[in-house]
Formats: sequence, C-alpha cells, structure tokens
Amino acid sequence: MVDVSKLRETAREIISREDVRELIGYRAGTYGFRARPAFVYDPGEVDQLIFNPACVNNLATYITLEEKLPVPRGQEPDLRKVAVMVKGCDSRALVQQMAENAYERDRILVIGIPCTGVVDMDKVQARFPDVLGPGEISLEGDKFVLIFDGRREEIPKEELLADKCKRCRFPTPLVYDVLLDEEVAPFATDDYSDVEALESRSQDEKWAYWEEKFSRCIRCYSCRNVCPMCYCNDCILDRLRPQWIRRSVDISENTAFHIARAYHLAGRCIQCGECQRVCPVEIPLMELNRKLYKDVEELYDFEPGVKVDAPPLLSSYRPDDPEDFIL
Amino acid sequence: MNGKPKIGVYVCHCGTNIAGTVNVEEVRDFAASLPDVVVARNYSYMCSDPGQALITEDIKNYGLNRVVVASCSPRMHEPTFRKTLESGGLNPFYLEMANIREQCSWVHEDPIAATEKAKRLLEAAVVKARNLEALEQKEVDVEPSCLIIGGGIAGIQAALDIADAGFKVYLVEKSPTIGGHMAQLDKTFPTLDCSACILTPKMVDVANHPNIELMTYSQVEEITGYIGNFNVKVRKKARFVDMDKCTGCGDCAEACRLAGRIPNEFDEGIGMRGAIYLPFPQAVPAKYTIDKENCLFLAKGKCGETPKCQEVCQAGAINFEQQDEIVEFKVGTIIVATGYDVFDARKKPEYGYGIYDNVLTALEFERLVNASGPTGGKIVMLERGKKKKKKEEEAEAPKVPKSITFIQCVGSRDKSVGNEYCSRVCCMYTAKLAHLVKDKIPDCEVTIFYMDVRAFGKGFEEFYDRVRREGVRYIRGNPSEIFRRGDKLVVKAEDTLTATPLEHETDMVVLSVGLVPRSDNREIIDILKLSQSSDLFYLEAHPKLRPVDTASDGIFLAGVCQGPKDIPDAVAQAKGAASAAMIPMAKGKVKVEAQTSVVNEETCRGCGFCVELCPFTAIELVEVNRQGWPVKVARVNEALCKGCGACVAACLSGSIQQRSFKDNQLLPQIKVLGVK
Repeated sequence: MVDVSKLRETAREIISREDVRELIGYRAGTYGFRARPAFVYDPGEVDQLIFNPACVNNLATYITLEEKLPVPRGQEPDLRKVAVMVKGCDSRALVQQMAENAYERDRILVIGIPCTGVVDMDKVQARFPDVLGPGEISLEGDKFVLIFDGRREEIPKEELLADKCKRCRFPTPLVYDVLLDEEVAPFATDDYSDVEALESRSQDEKWAYWEEKFSRCIRCYSCRNVCPMCYCNDCILDRLRPQWIRRSVDISENTAFHIARAYHLAGRCIQCGECQRVCPVEIPLMELNRKLYKDVEELYDFEPGVKVDAPPLLSSYRPDDPEDFIL
Repeated sequence: MNGKPKIGVYVCHCGTNIAGTVNVEEVRDFAASLPDVVVARNYSYMCSDPGQALITEDIKNYGLNRVVVASCSPRMHEPTFRKTLESGGLNPFYLEMANIREQCSWVHEDPIAATEKAKRLLEAAVVKARNLEALEQKEVDVEPSCLIIGGGIAGIQAALDIADAGFKVYLVEKSPTIGGHMAQLDKTFPTLDCSACILTPKMVDVANHPNIELMTYSQVEEITGYIGNFNVKVRKKARFVDMDKCTGCGDCAEACRLAGRIPNEFDEGIGMRGAIYLPFPQAVPAKYTIDKENCLFLAKGKCGETPKCQEVCQAGAINFEQQDEIVEFKVGTIIVATGYDVFDARKKPEYGYGIYDNVLTALEFERLVNASGPTGGKIVMLERGKKKKKKEEEAEAPKVPKSITFIQCVGSRDKSVGNEYCSRVCCMYTAKLAHLVKDKIPDCEVTIFYMDVRAFGKGFEEFYDRVRREGVRYIRGNPSEIFRRGDKLVVKAEDTLTATPLEHETDMVVLSVGLVPRSDNREIIDILKLSQSSDLFYLEAHPKLRPVDTASDGIFLAGVCQGPKDIPDAVAQAKGAASAAMIPMAKGKVKVEAQTSVVNEETCRGCGFCVELCPFTAIELVEVNRQGWPVKVARVNEALCKGCGACVAACLSGSIQQRSFKDNQLLPQIKVLGVK
C-alpha cells in the first residue's frame, strides 16, 4: 500500500517545481467510499491527495482531455509539464498515447503507483447500499477493510476486487519518473475465458445478446469521453457534414456507434475498463474491446500500450501479416 | 461548385458487350428521371469520335456541368472521357463513370436483374457526380538525370542509352565490378557468341562515358521525393584501395598471404582469390578491392610485420583507414535493374548438391567451361574442399569426365520449392552447355533429363535441333534421386516416354537451376516501396501495356528483377525502361495526380498513422500553430501522393479526405447502393 504522507510529500516537491504546471491525482469523493480526480496547481493543495483501492479512475484521460484554450495575443502557451498519478493499468494508456504522438515524453511527469488491485464500486454498493457519510477502504493482506459509520468490515479481496484486476498482468506502471512504492510482482494472468465463452455462441445468439445491450444505450457518449484513447479534437460522431451516425437513439444508430467505437479501439484499447465502469446502462463494453484485443494479439502478435518504443498496430505492416479474414 | 448541377448521362452499348445483357434504353430512361439530370442518351460506342462528340455538343447546348458515362471500367476509358470534358471546356474531374460492363453485363446472365443493377450503379454515379469538385492537375519540373540500380547487362544498356541521349546517369552497383551474371557466362545461346566479348566493350563504354557516374561497391541507402525530384543517398563502401592511385597491376593480389585461399564469388566458388582481389581480369573499374571479412589485417588486426599488399603496391594505393562514404544527389527518374539469384540447389536435397563434389549448378559449370575461368576452360572432375596439394604431387592431371548429365527445371516449375514459374532460360542454356561439352570433349556422353523443352525464341528450336543431332541424348523424365555407386554418380529416373524406370550412371551431374528473386530484394522494396508479384519478382504496373513501369511514377524496371528473361529480352526491356525514363526527362515537366489526399489541419491530431502507412512517403508531420499552441499535424506532399486512399481509411478522426472520394461524395453512393 502506498503511504499517503509519502505520496503528499512527493506531490509537494513535484508541484513546487518550476517546470510543472499541474498535478493530477486522487482525492476523497463527496460521499461514501468514492474517490475522485484532484487537480493540484499549488503546493498548498497537496494535503487533499489520497490513494486507496477506491481510486479507480484512469487519470491518463485528463492529459488529452484538457481543452487547449486559445492563447491570447502577446502571450506564450504554458508548456510546462503535467504530473499524473497512474496505476499499472493506467500507465499503459500513457504508453499508447505517446506511441500515437499525443504528446512528447518530456511533456509529462509520471508518478507511478504499484497497485495491488482496486475495488469494483458496484460490488461495494451492492454490499453496503446506503453509505452516504464518508467511508474508507484499504487493503490488508487478502481482505478489503471498510470503515464507515463507526463500523469496520472485513471482506475477502476476491469479493470486491474489480474484474480487470483479477486478470491484471501489469500491476507496476510500465512508465514512470517516480515510483511511490516497491514494485508489485504480477499476481494474475489473463486466459480470455470470458471472450471464448462469447465466441462460442452462435451468430444468432450473439446478435440477440448485443441487440438487447445496444438497445439500452442512451448515447450519452460517456464511454467515449472517459476513454484515454478517444481524444480526437473533433470526433466523427459529432460531425454533421457528412453525418456518419444520426443522433436518433435507435437500435440501428446505436449499433453503428458501438461498432465504430470498438473498431476505433482495435489495437489501441489498453483494457483499463473505464468505458464499462462509467456506462450508466451497464453495457458490457469490455467484452467487445477484449474480443478485439484477443484477435489483435493472436493475429499480429501485438499488444498495445506495453512497449514504449513499439509503433502502433495501425501503422505497422509486415508482408507476412495474416489476411485470410479478408473476403 | 459552378451553380446547380446539370448532369448529362451517357449509356454505352459497347456493341453487344453491354447492350446484349443490359436493356440500355431502359437504363437511359431511368437516368433521365433522376434529379438534376438534364439530358440522358444511349449510343453504340461512347468512346468513338461521334460518341464523344455527343458529350461535347451537349456541354455546349445544355450547359452541362457534370457528366456521367455508364460504360466500361474507368481503368479503360476514364482518361478518354476526361479529355472529352476538357475539349468541351469542362474541368475533367467533373466526370464520373459507372462500370456497367466488367461489373455488370460481363458477369451476369439474367437481363432483367442486370438492367436493375445497371440502374443502381448509374444512380450511384449520378448522386456522386452532384458533389464532384473541379480539381487542378499540377505540374512539377523534372531533374534531367537518372539513377540506375544494378550494373548487369540491363543496367548497363539502360545507362548507355540514357547517357547517349544526353542525360546524366548515376549507375550504382553493389559488387566491386559491373557486368553482373552475363560476365560469368561463357557463350550465349543460340548464336554462341562469346558473352564477355559482347559485354566487356559495353562495360568499358560505361566507365568512359562522360554522362555516366559509375559507383561500384556501393549501395542505395535511402530515396525520398517523387518523380522529377528524387533525393538519393548512396553508401560507397570502403574498398581500402585508393581508386585514383590504383593502376590495376595486380601485384597486391599475388602478394596477399591469402592468395588462392578464398572462394571467388565470381567463379561461383570453384576458383580462388585472395583478400585483395579483382573479381575477373576485365572487371570495370579495373581497381582492386580488399574484402574486409577475410583480410587478416582488417579482420584480425595483424598480417605479418606489414601487410604484404601495402608492401608491394608501388602506387601507394592501399589505405586501411578508408571509411564508407555517403554521397547524396538528385535524380528525376529511377530504373531498378537488380537482377536475380540462381536457385539454391541445396533446397532439392535429393540431388545431392553440396554432398557430391561433381554435382554442379549450371552457373558453376559455366565457369568451368569458360576460357577465362579457373580451369582455363578445361572441363575436369572437381575435388572440392581438398587442400591444395604441394607442387610435386600436383603433377597428377585432373580427370576428364567421360559422361555428363544435365537435369533441367531444378527450382523451376516446382511447387515443392514454391516456384511455379518457368525460368525461361534453362532449356536453352542447357542445350548450349551440352553443345560446349561436345565441342570440348567429343567422346563425352551427354544426357539431358527434361520435363518439356521450351525452345520458343528466335533461333531456339533450330539450335535445340542442332544439339540433338550432335548426339546429345534427351530423356523425358524428372529424376527422383542422385546417389553414388563406386566412383560413379547414379541418376534414378523414369523415362516417361517409354514408362521405363532407369538408373543412369554418370561422372558429373549439372543441375540446370532456375532464376529466383534476389535474396536481398527486400532492401530495394523497403527503399522504393515496390510491389511484388506472386513469384516475388518486382511487379510491373500492367502485365501487357506497362511492362517496364511500376506503380510509382518515375520508377521503372529492367531485366530479370521483374521476371526471368534471357539476355536479348533483358536488353530489350532495358531499352524500353530507358526510353520510358527519358520521356519525363525530355519533357522537363510531369503532371501529378490530382485526386490526392488533403488533411484538415484543424481536426488532425497528429498521431502519424498515415505517415507510416503511406506507400509513397507522401505524408509528413509538421508543427503548426493552433490558436497559440504548437501542434503536430499531417501534411500531404501533393506531388508524391498517388491517391491510393490508405491514409483516409486509417485516419480515426476522419481528418484526411481524398479529392473526388470525399465522404460527402461517397456517402450518397452508399445510400443508393445499400438495402432499400
């Protein structure tokens, strides 16, 4: 577990630096056990920073999400570094973003958090539905300890752990400038049994399954907005001329949207699971992402966001690339 | 957009090619009913003069500003009709074609369904035509110089032709001398003129030509740019001999401590050389080269007290400090003439090549019969890998084979080694070598195992006939195995004409190996982004009508790098490539593709996927100022862009559009063609 006082001390040093503009970390949420992103500009603000198993957000998103307002005439753009706290899984987003030239390595300062797993807030919610006052979650050995309303509950790790953590192969960040704790050895593997289960269904079953899921979609685009890999200045989904996807919420347009979203992430999704986490209507988006992830790995022996200097899948080509899926 | 679209539609009968299946009148009437269509006609041959006149007349009379022709593939007549529009005073890119021949009448039998399909295809063209934009076809200047890669006979011929026409030529050759495979051959079929006698004068011409800059022992490292303006980077490898000082006297080669101990590549390893060497006496340039892998001084750091070559060289030409040199220059056109490798006979282990001393490849045998070869042209039994005997023992004269057997189609027409094609030269060179054997050892028994004899060229059949009359025995059958029995080799085969299995005893076996793409083909592919055909030779732009062009403008092919061919064919193609390369150089200007990609720099996020994908290196990332922020965006070099659209498909933000294939032009088409 990351020591909070060390975390704040490190953050204080970093935000005090001349060449750092902003630090993105976590702070306690407004109710219950939740944590939320914190944006720190001043050394005086660091004492709000925390890290615990409730810190689920992938903060890499905020680096590319930040709007670049026009620089007033006569002024220079603020090109100082952005410091960002990342867990192992989140760090892969940084690797992939840099592989895609989203920014240069020296534009960011990475505070790495070796991570032992985060909770699935839905599982916590189901267990303790009405916790509105402040609550705390920590991991002690193989148990999550929850403290709230003067109670202390110990729950086996397995029961609250997020699904993505159960197959996490990269608990320690792959890229960092400072590491807040000892490296964590990988404690899980990924056998894709969930994807295989999906693949084994018939075409009709799959269509019925996804038709039901997609028909729920309200096209809030939360999944797109939270995704660290979706950072086009001007998304084709928003364009009117030409209009690739109409705005009406119906099964045809919803399906078109979800296919476009999934395919735009082929060879790019780093499996942080944020899209599925934020979906208000519980569409299992990671099932689509993971199917494509598995295909890309099997066909091209490629994993996005793993090797810092690997070229992105879409722009690398070998003459012996398989092509038997082309009709 | 010049006002409201006024579209003219022209439905071609193509004789009965289209009209035999598609009801062209019905298609015309349907076209006339479509919005914005002002006039619709059908005609027997739209591409004919009267057909084209219909279009130009209508442009004048109806004020047409878009034209749709429903006929054959745009590959066939798009250029024709673009010219028609131009002569009618309309921008040629206001043309849209509907392919109702290759994609409709030729592939369908049911006239009713075919007519319905033709209507759909036509409607799709009409809705696209509405949004077509006028494009400008730009011109760029052409540098009056040519890079030729490869100094074999094809490269030499192309270089001489272009240089004679007055253009500058840079001839880059990887090995220390030009001449290529032709220099290794003894006689040439079917006329039996001496290969060296007809080649070496040309080699000398290359060396002396004022317009040719010859770079041997050099390799092309990088080429950027486009037709008219290629930037070339060549690495001149260090030969450790000062080219200006070396007189070619050869004292160094004799003095070299390794003289006669390193297999000479030029002699296919049958003859030996030293670490400092001239591949063969007539090499051009006649300058020595030190092979740094073998040279004791360069590889081990020590060669006696002082290196012998340095000691004896009176010109002081040896320079162990020499470094590779990078030369950069600009050319307008490029000819690739990189040649071939011969098939590696080890891939047919049943023939025992590499195991039995006297199983040779035809190219090795070529050196054996060659008067300037290691045996002075004497055909003798080989004792490979044996250390040179001391002088006194050497008195024993090498044995002369009493029977020689050739096996044709080794590595050609053979799916088991992945080469389905015929190498086109083996039948005839085998006949030639058989003739040479009969000439040199009249009582030698010569047998040729063949599948078919392909004697298709001028004088070939006559030559084949002559060789058979000389007593060469042709047996139709593909041997299954070669093994040793006593001091004889046994060829096991079936005579398929008499269905008799046989075991044929012989002294020496010559494998008529086929021609294969060079093992280092990829280097040039990576540099020039050439395509390969299924046989892995370089791909020409069109198998019939553009046999020397590549998909990239300004880059041409000559010789066997494009596919197996004999010397006259290689020379003919080289002359063709030379004249093709001279067209843009003589004109001084070239038109470049107008249907290029264009980047929306406002939305481009600079990921660079397109940069890596572009097969023509036409896109680069540049830094621009976006509302005060420095950002990288993609930028297309329109002179380089060929309009393939790969970048458009890869762009996640939809920031690249291809002119004439923009989203607002294609989406209406998809809507028309989609399920209704």
